[in-house]
This record gives sequence, C-alpha cells and structure tokens, in this order.
Amino acid sequence: MPILEIKNAELSIDNKKILKGLSLNVNEGETHAIMGPNGSGKSTLSYMLAGRDGYELDNGSINFENIDLTPLSPDERSNLGLFLAFQYPVELPGVSSTNFLREIFNSRKKYLGENELSHLDFIKLLRKVAENLSIKDEMLKRYVNFGFSGGEKKRFEILQMALLDPKISVLDETDSGLDVDALKIVSEGVNNLKDKKNAVVVITHYQRLLDYIKPDIVHIMSDGKIIKSGDADLALYVEKNGYSEILNEKS
Amino acid sequence: MKKARNDQFFSNLEKFVNKVYPNQPQRKPYLNLKSWPSPRDEAWKFSRLGNLARKNILPLNFENQQDFNINKLIKDSISLVFVNGKFEKKLSDKLLSEIVIEEVQIEDFKEIINKFDNLSVKNHPTLNSTLSCSEKFFKIKFKNDIKFYKPIEIFNLGGTENTSIHPFIFIDLDKNTNVQVFQHYSTYAGLLAPFEIINLSENSNLEIIKIYDDKINSHNLSLTLSVIKEEANLRSFALIKGGEFTRSEMHTLLEGENSNADINGIYLSSGNQHHDLTSCVYHNVPNCKSSQIVKGVLGEESTAVFQGKVRVEKLAQKTEAKQMSRAIMLSDKAVSNSKPELEIYADDVICGHGATVGELDEDQIFYLSSRGISKQKAKVILIDAFLNEMISLSISDKFHDIIYNKTKTKINKLLTNEYE
Repeated sequence: MPILEIKNAELSIDNKKILKGLSLNVNEGETHAIMGPNGSGKSTLSYMLAGRDGYELDNGSINFENIDLTPLSPDERSNLGLFLAFQYPVELPGVSSTNFLREIFNSRKKYLGENELSHLDFIKLLRKVAENLSIKDEMLKRYVNFGFSGGEKKRFEILQMALLDPKISVLDETDSGLDVDALKIVSEGVNNLKDKKNAVVVITHYQRLLDYIKPDIVHIMSDGKIIKSGDADLALYVEKNGYSEILNEKS
Repeated sequence: MKKARNDQFFSNLEKFVNKVYPNQPQRKPYLNLKSWPSPRDEAWKFSRLGNLARKNILPLNFENQQDFNINKLIKDSISLVFVNGKFEKKLSDKLLSEIVIEEVQIEDFKEIINKFDNLSVKNHPTLNSTLSCSEKFFKIKFKNDIKFYKPIEIFNLGGTENTSIHPFIFIDLDKNTNVQVFQHYSTYAGLLAPFEIINLSENSNLEIIKIYDDKINSHNLSLTLSVIKEEANLRSFALIKGGEFTRSEMHTLLEGENSNADINGIYLSSGNQHHDLTSCVYHNVPNCKSSQIVKGVLGEESTAVFQGKVRVEKLAQKTEAKQMSRAIMLSDKAVSNSKPELEIYADDVICGHGATVGELDEDQIFYLSSRGISKQKAKVILIDAFLNEMISLSISDKFHDIIYNKTKTKINKLLTNEYE
C-alpha cells in the first residue's frame, strides 16, 4: 500500500524554480534512497514534505495515505506519522531535552488516542530507547541540541524518531558529519525501527550510508526532479562513476 | 484631541504640602520641581511622561476605608501592607521582635540620599514628590540577632485614577543578616511614586523581588537607592507586567569591597503599555561585581526600554560588570529601546555588554512543529525557555516556580493577541 505519493511537484523559492515536476511513490515496508549532486533540490524536498512555511507547492500534489498533505501544518503532518530527521538539528537553549521528548511523545500519544505516560514511566521508556542509541543520561539533562556534537545531534534525531514511531521517516543527510562509529549507531537505530508497516526515505550525497541502511529503491535527483530510479546497484554505480554520466545520459 | 500637557500635578502638590504640613520646613526643598522631566532630559528620552502630565492628579489624603484581600505568594511570609501609601498595621502580619518597623524623619536618611546627589537623581520626580508629601517615612530594620528571617512581603495597594500615592520605605539590614523581600505593586493609582532606600551593612544579603502589576491606567515611577557595604550582596529582580507606564529605576552604590549587585529583570508588555527598566550601578571601590541583565517580551503596540549604566571609578580596580538586554518582539508594532552605557575610569576591569532584539526564531518554531507541537504551543515553549533561563539565573530556586507562574497568564495573553 502506498504511504506517500508525490505527483509532479513544482515549487519555487524567491521566484526561482527548485522542484520541477518531481514524482515519487513510497510503499509500506520500503526503504528509498534519494541521491543527487548539490543543488538538485534534495533538502527543499524534505522541507516541502515537512510543511515548512515558504515551501508550498506551485503545482502537483502530495498524498499521505490518501490524505492531501498540502493544506496541513508541520505539526499535523507529524501527527499523521511523517518524520523529518534534520540535516542541521536546531538548538533550543532553555528547553530541557527530557521535557521536550516527553512533550512530543505525549502529544503523539494523544493524537493517536492512546494513553499518555506518567513522568516515571516515560523516563523508564526513554532510558531504554536512549541506551540503544548510546545516548547517556547526562545528554538528556542538557538543553535540546545545545552544545551537542554533530554525532550527538544525529543520534538525538533518531531518538525522537524512535519515540514518535512514524509511518514514514525522511532522513535528510543524516550521515553528514558522522564518523564511522556514529554512522553505525545511527544506522542500526534506523534499521531497528524499520518494519513492514513503515517506510524510510534516505536523502544522501554518498553511497556510504547505504552500506548500513540498505535501500530497496534508489533515485537519482537532478535539477528538481528524479531522473533515474533503480535498485541498490544504482547507488554503487554512482559511487564508482559519479553523477556526471547519468546526468549526461539524460541531457 | 489630546488635552494639553499642563503639569498641574506639581502645583497641586505644593498646595497640598503647604496645607497639610504647614510646620514641616524640611519638606520644602523637595518642592522645587515645577514640571515632569521632558524628552529632552537624557534620562527620560525613551520614557515620555506626556500622558502623565496631561492627567489631573492630586496627592491622596484620606484614610483608607476599604477592605483588601492580601494574597501572599509564600505561605509563611510576613506581610506588611501599605494602602494609599500608608502602613496598615491591621492588615499586616505581626512582626517578629527582630524586625523593627519605625517611623523616621528625612534627617535620618538624608546622608544616604546625599551620596546620590551628583548622580542625576537629585531632580527625580519620585524622590521629590514622595519626600515632600508622604505622610510617614517608614524604616524596616533587620537586626543581626538572628541570621535568617522569614520572607517579607510588602503590598502596595489602594489609590484611585485621579490620585497619586507615595509610599516610602527604608530597608536597613544590620551586619550579617540575610533577608528576602517581595514588593508587590498592585494599585489603582493614577500615579504611584514609591521611593525606597536600601542599606546593606557589612556581609548582609538582600534578595528583593519586585512585582509590578498595577492596574491598566496607572503610572508607576518606582525609585530605589541602594548602598552596599563590604562583602554585602544585593540580588534584585523586577518583574514588570502591569500599568499603563511602569518604570523601575534603581541606583546602586557599591561602596564596600567584595560586594555584589545583581539588578536583573523581566518585562512582559502588551496593549499600549510602556515598561522601563533603568539601572545605574556605581563601582566606587575595588573588587566588586555587578550584573544588569534584562529580558523582555513585547506584543501589540507596547514599548519598552532598558537603560543600564555602569560607572567604574578610577579607584575601583578589578571590577567585574556585566550588562545584557534581550527582547523578543511578537508584533511589528511594538518598540524596544536599549541604551547600555559604560563609564570606566579604572584600567583593570572586566566589563561586557550586549543587546539583542528579535522575533521568535522561525527555525526553532519549525523544528518544534515538525515534532507535532502546534505553532502556538511552540511559541509558548520558546518564550518559557527564554524566561526560565532568566528566572533561574536571577532568583533563589525556591521562588522560581512562584515567579514563573506570575509570568504565565501574561504570556498567554500576549500570544492570544499576537499580531500576525
């Protein structure tokens, strides 16, 4: 069953066309990778999906389980089960990490009509989930992303993903700024959350992350649309030959 | 059409003083002001008194007949209640024997005022009007027989739209005392002119929390002069949220070595409110520290001012002084002014200042919303974080929640009336 259907998405920022007719279908249980050179519109795609102000479609449609996403605010999209792991997670000085996580966890539970957890039960759950991602208690006592290292920020994104249990997760350059050990922890975290009912879209520059998170389908994005799709071998091809050959093939 | 500015208050005041206190020549020198400070006066440039000058206000001179509910913030505190500027023993709690509240005369604190003579407070309307017309001058003395007191809560109540009230309090801490004072300003007065003097003897500690929450037509021109001796510590925090116009002005003189003054505050401004935190800290001796840190949230068409001055005398080496002002604007019609001033004559000092004004951060709001939190809730979280940091920094942990809760209703109001 399709979770996400993007049809002919066109989007401009400051009167400059960034997405030029992008289409993408993601079904339950699938892992997609979107690769492409700088400036191809990958991050714009992720903001567009999350519903950021200023990233509204000019043309085309986005459906999430047959619900039109375009009129929905970022929080409504999140509540439906869409998660964006940020390329650059935002620091929130003064907002305690634990309180923040409890707030987002309980607001998701509330939306799903499930019981919110008491402070104590939440802390127990949080400890368990955090441990799997090698996140120490000490880090949860700090302000959200404030003074976190690059690796800590990315692990904290995956921790939020684990707590929110989304149907589709878009990971925007989650591998950037990670060393190999951190990359392994983050990838394992993502793989552990993956099941037959949800889906993952990995946006990345390099093939290296795809050694750990195995994609079913790989898309090459260029100049605001997807120009080629294939299986995992396509990523290996790009890694070996670069983007230029595929780009030339198209033009 | 706006009524003409007439400054009638000062002729009213003079008539009042001549009639009520005909035989008290010591009040006369404080009748020298004939008008409110004008915008040309540097100290009042950003806080204009035109509206006040157009009001026809008389000093209040009748006995209180009203009943008041005294809502203490702290269960076991000792309340001192001032109605219409006069001490109401009946409404106040019984004092402990270590706390003396006594009537004093201008001569008894003249020496302290004189220390500030050259420091631009000489012609301050609050100093002048309150010393000339306040019925009684009260001193609260904390004796050093015991080291810890229960918190004191001073309530300023009463007033009417066309009257002014003039409470005077002299807070005097003996050596080695440790005192916490809450000052509530919750009057209906057209003009509230509270004049306070604080004297901190060697090694004493005063934490004073001022909550300005007068009714919406009030002008509050609060003035506090503090003198701090060796090893003493003044921790002052002002929460300004009420009134049409509220200025909390503090002049703090560090005259004993190793003393410390934190003059911090938060203002939450909505509607057409004008809020002003003005603070001058004078480092006269070496090895003292001070901070003036102010944060504000402004909505609708409100305006606010932070004026912070630090003066470090030539002698005052090894001074550490910090100034910082940050404002969050929820409306593009609100205006925030910041005027930090450093006047440094010593060469071995650490002084820093900075000021920022801005809207709530769009990236932060988006990040929170992308996690399922509504935009409105995201703003509440970010403002809470902004203020909580400030409250934690400024006051004792045990009062944190009390003060935080005092900000809550105002923040909700600010966000409900937010201009998009």
